[in-house]
Amino acid sequence: MSEVLPNEASTSPAPVMGSLLRQLTQGAGLIVILYVALYAIYGYLQPRALEPYAIAALMNNTAPLALAAAGQTFVVLSRGFDLSLAGVISICNVTLAVVPIEGPGGAALSVLLCLAIGASVGAVNGFLVAYLRLQSIAATLATMIICQGIALVILNAPGGFVAEWIVYEMTDRLWGLVPVSGLVVLSVVALWLMLRRTDFGVAIYAVGADEQAASLSGVNVRRVRFGAFVGAGLLYGLAGFMLSAQTATGNPNSGTPLLLLTFAAVALGGTSLAGGRGGLFASVIGAATLTLLQKVLFSTGVSSFYTGIFQGAVLILAVVFSTAISRIGEEK
Amino acid sequence: MTGAVAVAGGEAVPGAALELRAEGVCKSYGATVALEHADIALQAGEVHALLGENGAGKSTLVRILTGAVTPDAGRMYLHGAAYTPHSITDARAVEVATAFQELSLVPNLSVAQNLLLPRLASSRSGLISRADVLAKGREILLRHDLERIDPAAEVARLPLSDRQRIEIARAAENAGRVLILDEPSASLAETDWLFAQVENAKARGVAILYISHRLAEVRAICSVATVLRNGRSIATVDLDDASDGDIFEMMVGHRVDPARPAARSTSGPREARVAVTDIAGSELNGVSFDLNAGEVLGVAALEGQGQRELFRCLAGVQKPEAGEIRIDGRPASYRSPRQALRFGSGVSYLPEERKTEGILAGLSAATNVVLPFLPRISRAGMVGQGREVSAAQDAANAVEMNPRYLTFPIGELSGGNQQKALMARTLASGAKTLLLFDPTRGVDVGTKESIYAAISAFADEGGSVLFYSSELPEIVQLADRCLVLYGGRVFESFSGEDINEQRLVAAMIGHHDATGQEATR
Amino acid sequence: MANNNPLAETTFVQSGDTRRSAKISRETISAIAVAVLCVVLLLGARFVSPSLGSWSQVETVLILGSFLVVLSFGQGLVILSGGLDLSLPAMITLGGILATNWIGSSDPGAWYLLPIVLLVCAGVGFLTALGIVILRVPPFIMSLAMSIIVSSALLGYTKGTPRGAAPEMAIALMKGSVFGLPAPILFTIGFVILGWLIQSRSIFGRYLYAIGTNVEAARIAGVPVFTAQVLPYVLSATCAGLVGIMLVGYSNGATLRMGDDYLLPSIAAVVIGGSSILGGRGTFLGTVGGALLLTTLGTIISAIGLEFGLRTIIEGAIVLTALLLLREELFQKLGSLWK
Repeated sequence: MSEVLPNEASTSPAPVMGSLLRQLTQGAGLIVILYVALYAIYGYLQPRALEPYAIAALMNNTAPLALAAAGQTFVVLSRGFDLSLAGVISICNVTLAVVPIEGPGGAALSVLLCLAIGASVGAVNGFLVAYLRLQSIAATLATMIICQGIALVILNAPGGFVAEWIVYEMTDRLWGLVPVSGLVVLSVVALWLMLRRTDFGVAIYAVGADEQAASLSGVNVRRVRFGAFVGAGLLYGLAGFMLSAQTATGNPNSGTPLLLLTFAAVALGGTSLAGGRGGLFASVIGAATLTLLQKVLFSTGVSSFYTGIFQGAVLILAVVFSTAISRIGEEK
Repeated sequence: MTGAVAVAGGEAVPGAALELRAEGVCKSYGATVALEHADIALQAGEVHALLGENGAGKSTLVRILTGAVTPDAGRMYLHGAAYTPHSITDARAVEVATAFQELSLVPNLSVAQNLLLPRLASSRSGLISRADVLAKGREILLRHDLERIDPAAEVARLPLSDRQRIEIARAAENAGRVLILDEPSASLAETDWLFAQVENAKARGVAILYISHRLAEVRAICSVATVLRNGRSIATVDLDDASDGDIFEMMVGHRVDPARPAARSTSGPREARVAVTDIAGSELNGVSFDLNAGEVLGVAALEGQGQRELFRCLAGVQKPEAGEIRIDGRPASYRSPRQALRFGSGVSYLPEERKTEGILAGLSAATNVVLPFLPRISRAGMVGQGREVSAAQDAANAVEMNPRYLTFPIGELSGGNQQKALMARTLASGAKTLLLFDPTRGVDVGTKESIYAAISAFADEGGSVLFYSSELPEIVQLADRCLVLYGGRVFESFSGEDINEQRLVAAMIGHHDATGQEATR
Repeated sequence: MANNNPLAETTFVQSGDTRRSAKISRETISAIAVAVLCVVLLLGARFVSPSLGSWSQVETVLILGSFLVVLSFGQGLVILSGGLDLSLPAMITLGGILATNWIGSSDPGAWYLLPIVLLVCAGVGFLTALGIVILRVPPFIMSLAMSIIVSSALLGYTKGTPRGAAPEMAIALMKGSVFGLPAPILFTIGFVILGWLIQSRSIFGRYLYAIGTNVEAARIAGVPVFTAQVLPYVLSATCAGLVGIMLVGYSNGATLRMGDDYLLPSIAAVVIGGSSILGGRGTFLGTVGGALLLTTLGTIISAIGLEFGLRTIIEGAIVLTALLLLREELFQKLGSLWK
C-alpha cells in the first residue's frame, strides 16, 4: 500500500504502531533493515569496508544487478516475467566492447546506444505480450535466445575493450567520496518515485493486481503493459552499460548470470511475483543485499564452495519472514 | 422506424429524447453464438429493464453497449449519431458508463483512486497530488450519499456491498448520457440507496439500462422492459401492461405457474444429524442449532451476519474459534472439505462464489461434477471422460441439466448451467448433509425450479439440507424450519406455517415480531 | 425424476443453444501441429543437405530428445499444478554425480543404488515442495533457492572436480539395443505412454488440472490439495535425477554444469506444447511434441554447420514462431472453420 500511496500511513488516523508496521512490511522497510544489519556485520568483519573506496567498489559491483532488478520490477509489478534481460545486457556489453567510443561524448553516445538497444527489445517484448497476447515468460524466453544469438554474432568469444573513459569515470568517486555508479542507481530510483506519481505509475499497479478490473475502469491495459516492458528494457540497457564499465571487456554471455538473480532481488525486496504489490526501490536494495551477502560470506572465511547454501537459505528466510510479518500487518 | 433513424444521422430526429439505440447487433465467439440479434432503444430520463434467462445474451449485450466487446454486425446510435465504441474509454468519452456485475474495481488501489481511474494526475503537472485525489474522491462519495466510506481505504479491505456501491457511484458519476447497471443489487441487502441513485440519474436526464433477475425490483424502478431469449430480443414491453406471467412467458417461451407448493409437513421426532453448539469466530458469536434427517433448514439474514462463516465452519473450510459441531453424534474433527465429505454420513458444500470457489473453468462439466468422488468411479486410479460422463449423468438428471453439456468446459456454459453442475456435484457426492449457500444466486426461473425440486427430493429421501438464501420467497417455499441470524447469533427461529416473509424481514433487521414470544432472548 | 417437471424439459427442447463440444480439443490440435512441424522440419532438412532427414538422424533426434522428454514431463506436471521448477539443473547434476560417485563402473552388482539415487532426488523435491506449500514461498523463488543450495552442496561435496564413471546400467539404458531398436527409444516410448496415463487418465492428473485452475475451488470440491501440490515437485525432481543418470550413461561421466543447458528448454517444451504457463491447461503429448521439436531444431541447425550465434538466433526465432502459431486466437479461428 505504501508503495502505491506513499503517505498513506501518516495521514490516516490509524494507531502509530500499526501504521509503522505497515510501512515496514509493505514498503522497502524490511529489506533496508536487513541491508543495514548485514552492512554492520560486514563493517565489523572488515573494518576497512566503511572507507570510501570500499563503498565505491561495492557500489560498482551492485549497480548492474540493481539496475537489472529495477527493470525486472517494472514487468513483475504489471504481472509478468521478463527473461530477455540476459540477452539485452549481453548485447550492450559486446557492443561497447566492439565499438569503443572514447571521451565524454563517446560515453554519452554509448549510453544512448545501450538505451536504444534495451528500448527496442523491450518494445518487441511489449508488442508480443500486450498486443499478440503471448505469455510473458514464453515470449521473453524467445527474445532472450534471439538476443543471446545476436550477442554471439557481434562477438563470438570474450574479448575486446570498453572505452577507457567509461571504465574509469563510471567506476570513480566524485570528490573522492561519492561513487558515480551509486549516483546512477540513485537517479533511477528518483525517476521511479516521480513515475509512481503519474497515471502510468498507478496504472502499472492496477494492471498487475487485476487486469480485467483495470481495463473496465478505463485503463489502457495494452499500452501500460507495453510501457512496462519498454521501461524495463531501458533499465537493462543501462545495466549493460554499467556492467561494461565495471568489467572493461566484452563477453557474449555476460548477462546470463544476472537473470535468476534479478528474480531473487525482486522477491527479496518484497515485490509480489503475482503482480500489483511492491516497488522498484525495494528491488534495488534487494539486489544490493545479494551482492553484499557474497562479500560478507567471503570475509567470514566460508569456503567459496558453500556460499550458495547461505545465499539460498537467506533467500528462503527473507521471503518467509517478510510474508509472515506482512500477515501480521494485515491482521492489524 | 429502423431506417428512418439510421439515415437521419445528426439531423433532428423523430423522438429527440432517444438516447441509445442498438439495431440487430450480434456476436459470436468461435462456434458459440452469444448474441444472435438484439434491438434495444433507451430513452433519456427513463429506466429500461433488460430481462432474460442466464445465457440469453444479457451480459454480451451489456459488453457491446459499453465498448468492452465489438459486435460482429449491427449498428448503434447515440443521440442519432453513429456509436461505435472500441473500448470502455471510447464509451466513457461520450458519457456512457457501466456498473459491472463482476465489479471492476482494482483491489490494491484506494477508493478515491478507483473512483478517478484512469486519470488521477492534474493536467498541468502530469503528477498526482494525493490530497487532491482524496478530496475529489470524497466529493464524489458525498454526491452519492456514501460519505461514511473512507476515500483512502484500500478497496480490497471493503465489504462486498460497499464495493458494489462504489462501482455504482463511479458509473453514475461518469454517466452523463447513459448509465448501465448490470445486476446492481446482487450484493445489496436493501435497495433504497440504489433506487435513490437511479432516481437521481433519471432526474438528470440520463438513460438507464437496468439488468436484474429480481422482477419485484424491476417493477419498482423500471417503466419499460426488453426481454432477451436465446440471444434474440423477443419484445419490448411497457411494464405496467405486462403481468409477471407474461414476462416469464417471454423469457422462457411458455407460461410459468406462479403458484408454489406449500412447505412440506414436518412431524415426528427425528435424530439430529448435525448438532451445532455455541460455535464462534470472527463474525459468529455463539450459534447453536440441530439439523435433523429429512429436514430442510433455512437460514435468513442480511449480508454479513455470520452466515458465510457458519457455512464455512460446517464445511471444513475454516475452523470455528470455539464451540462444537457434532455429525451423527460424533464431534466433527475434520479440517478440510475433503475430510468433511468423508466424515460420518458426509457433509457436502455448495460455496457462495460460483466463479472463485465453485467451478474449475477449464475442466469439463462432468469432471467438475465427479471431482469429489473420483476414486469411487475410477479403475486402478485411472479415469476417462466416458466414465466421468456416465457417473455424472444421474446427478445431472436430478437437477434437470441437459447431459449434452457435460462434455463442455464448464467455463463456457451459462451461469445457470454452471450452478446446476455445482448443485449436481453436491448431490452426487453421496453426503447425507448438504450445505447450500445461496443455491439459486443469479440463476433464471427455470433453473431455480429444478434446483428446488432437487432439494425437496433429497430431503424426502432422508437427507438433511442447510441452506442460506438471499431471496426470502425461496426460504418460505422450501424450508421446514428457518433460523434468522443477526449479529452472529440465532436471533429467532421459525418453523412450519410461521415462516412468512414479513416475520423473517422483521427478525432480520433485529425486531422481534410482536406476535412472537418476547422471551426468546 | 426429470419428467415430473415439464417446464425444464421443454426448456431443453426450446433452447437455441446449438453448440457442440469441440470434437478435437485445443490441446490435441496443438500437439498435432507440433508433431507435424517436427516431421516437416526433418523432411525439409533433406533439401538443405541430403545427409539430413535420414532414419539415422531420426534416431539421433529421439535419443537426444529422450532427456528433454523425461525432464519436461516433471516440469509439465509442476506447471500444470500452477507452479514452476527452476531447480532442474541442480537436480540433474545431483542425479548424475551421485550415480557416478556412489555406483561408478567398478561394481556392477550395485545396481540397487540407482533407485536410492532417485529417492534422494525425490527427497530434495519434497523439501522444495514443503517450502512452497507450507512456508508459502513462491515456487519461482523456492525452487531457485533450492537450486543454488544443491549446486553449492555438490560443489563442496566433489571439491569442484566430480570423479567416478558411469554405472553399467545407465550405459545399457542409453547405448544398448533391444530387438535391433536403440534402448533409449524404447524407454522413451514407454515413458511417454506412462506419462500420458498419469497426466490425462489418472485421478492424480485430474487433481493437478483442478488445483492448477483454482486451488480454493479445488479444495472446496474435496481435492486432496496438499498431496496434489507436493507430488509434482517430487516427481519433477525424480525425473531430473533420472535425466542426470541418463546423461551420465550417454556421455560416460558427470560434470558440475551438466544440467545448466536444460532449464529453459524444459520450460520452452512445455509452453510450445500448448500448456498454459499459469497452470491448469495442457497435455503431455503436446509437451513431448515440444521437446522433440526443440531437439530436432537443435540437431538440424548444428548439422547445417552455421556459426553458433546465427544458430541461436534461428532457434529463438523458431521458438517464437511456434508460440505465435499456437496462439489462442488461432484456435478460435480454426474452431469457427469447423462450424
